[in-house]
Amino acid sequence: MSSGALVIGAGPAGLTSAYELAKLGISSTIIEADEQVGGLSRTVSYKGYRFDIGGHRFFSKVPLINELWREMLSEDFLLRPRLSRIHYRGHFFDYPLKAANALAGLGPIEAFLVMLSYSKAKMFPSAEETNLEQWVSNRFGQRLYEIFFKTYTEKVWGIPCNEISADWAAQRIKNLSLKEAIRNALLGAGKSAEGEVITTLIEQFHYPRLGPGMMWDCCKDLLAEKGNETVHGIKVDKIRHRKGRVESVVGHRSNGERVEFDADHFISSMPLRRLIQSLDPLPPDEVLAAANSLRYRDYLTVVLMAKREDVFPDNWIYIHSPEVKMGRIQNYKNWSPEMVPDQSRSSLGLEYFLWQQDEEWTWSNDRLIDLGIKECAQIGLVEPDEIEDGTVVRMKKAYPVYDHNYNDRVDIIRNYLETLPNLQTIGRNGLHRYNNQDHSMLTGVYAARNVVGEKNDVWAVNTEQDYHEEVRSSETEKSSTGYTKTMGDRAVPMPIVQDEADQIIQTAFARLDGVALGVALGVVIGVGLFLATMILLLKGGEFVGPRLGLLRNFLPGYEVTWGGSLIGLAEGSLLGFGLGFFIASLRNWGMMAYAYLLRRRAETEAAKNVLD
Amino acid sequence: MTTESITMAGNKQTEEISREVMRIQAGVLAMVCAVLGGLLLFTMTVWLLLKDGPGAGPHLSLLGNYFIGYSVSWFGSILGLVYGALTGGIVGWVVGSIYNLVVGFRK
Repeated sequence: MSSGALVIGAGPAGLTSAYELAKLGISSTIIEADEQVGGLSRTVSYKGYRFDIGGHRFFSKVPLINELWREMLSEDFLLRPRLSRIHYRGHFFDYPLKAANALAGLGPIEAFLVMLSYSKAKMFPSAEETNLEQWVSNRFGQRLYEIFFKTYTEKVWGIPCNEISADWAAQRIKNLSLKEAIRNALLGAGKSAEGEVITTLIEQFHYPRLGPGMMWDCCKDLLAEKGNETVHGIKVDKIRHRKGRVESVVGHRSNGERVEFDADHFISSMPLRRLIQSLDPLPPDEVLAAANSLRYRDYLTVVLMAKREDVFPDNWIYIHSPEVKMGRIQNYKNWSPEMVPDQSRSSLGLEYFLWQQDEEWTWSNDRLIDLGIKECAQIGLVEPDEIEDGTVVRMKKAYPVYDHNYNDRVDIIRNYLETLPNLQTIGRNGLHRYNNQDHSMLTGVYAARNVVGEKNDVWAVNTEQDYHEEVRSSETEKSSTGYTKTMGDRAVPMPIVQDEADQIIQTAFARLDGVALGVALGVVIGVGLFLATMILLLKGGEFVGPRLGLLRNFLPGYEVTWGGSLIGLAEGSLLGFGLGFFIASLRNWGMMAYAYLLRRRAETEAAKNVLD
Repeated sequence: MTTESITMAGNKQTEEISREVMRIQAGVLAMVCAVLGGLLLFTMTVWLLLKDGPGAGPHLSLLGNYFIGYSVSWFGSILGLVYGALTGGIVGWVVGSIYNLVVGFRK
């Protein structure tokens, strides 16, 4: 049994990992560079106002994660309605996109052009779907892509959409399995495998009363109660390893004091690039080069406090308008009324997506607040004299960038890290994957379970839909360790418990065996023709079977004679076999075409949420 | 492309949804074919009688070579119903049974 683990990073992934380790009876120490826990999901306080780094809906299709949330925060969840819209050139559009609303808002001429562009995309889609532009344009048309996806996405990522890998979208849409698409069609799109209605949870979401940071503060306290310390203000300098095992992590406190942590197991949520750079000794040049070329998008929020009870009804608004720099605006009070100290006030979070090299990143807080006030007025949300205070929060490496080669580089790093079996990487930055909070938490759970001998592939989370979204609650299946067994061998998805709907699909879509049907029809037609010929011959007469003999027009050599009956038997059998095989193939292809059609429809529906 | 490779490609596609190979319930198929066969011959006979009157359907009457007593007449239509059903039932049952036999053998 392990004497302990070291978890690097006290974000959702790291804390969840430590929490799961504690459940498994393994003590851990968590080290965190910041003075606050929660990472990207922390809640920042300022003069009684509380705000997120971004917005964090507590909505997950993973039952295990929903259970964990409840377990940690108990009854402190609010169920909030979701409203988000897109602002583009003075108009607000529903989000997720609705065709009628979008076309009405664009005006008749633009709407016509959009329809033309959409038709073109459907008739002549781009054969390649390697970048985001091709991926979205194929589904919505070039013109809608330019209005509703291009500007916002480029604001967020800072690179042209044709340089962003289509994985970004595909990962978030996650190509539905054919079976899933059929199941949705059978049960209704809003129902999961268990039949629970999830549509309503997309329209509403759970949210901690005091913001997501409340959960992570609570998790930290729960860990402390079990003797698992969270050490703040530790910057990692070196990760020492020898003979294929990590031995310790060396870091320093904010006062420069050097600290070293030993452990048997190491779980890291620090950015992959920094992790590789910290390894001592350094990995081979190829791995180091791969790590050095990983890029991250940085993010800052300008928070404005407004003397107004209601500014807008949305939780957040996507700002697609190219004339302003902000990408999204949050209204924290609409997430939870307790995010503001005074209900006659509102706080708005204006989100800017930047590189650290960008000029704005280095601007003073006052200058950024001025920019925020100006842009808010420019798009007509709030007047400058209504703003009574403001602050700025900067978050480095908020988004791992999916450029064209990131996947190959991550593979190189991943392969190298497999040579250090007692080091696991988790979380959004630890895996360089655009995970939401729930997926990050799931990687933490899996990593913790790997410590006790399970073989979960944390890299598969959020890439293989079945791998995580079908993970049942902890009540369903227990492993030999007494805990939920989620899967077997590495990279092998968890076998899905077959429910009634699955069984119906299995039976309804069962393959018709072409050879078997061919043989069956071959025997019936061949023997049938043979018997028909023989009966006429036995009956005899002056002219035997003149009409049946006409079959020679189709069956060469056939005639109503003793020899012809054998030819009829052979040719009839061949004809029957071909017919049976053709019917079976046609039926199987028809069923597949229907399944593909259902999946295409479901993906298009899901693609409407791609901005989230 | 050979029959086998075509079959394998088809299998791969459909396996994404279902790994099962369909079995035919021979009794049910026999019933369906019996109803179809009987109604078909009955309807064809009645249609010719209504259209052309007595003496109609010289070609359809040739089925009398196989179905003893059958002719394009009102009585023949009833006999046709029985013979069609009987033949359809046998064909359906034979097709279903042979199909299942081959599927079992190939498994």
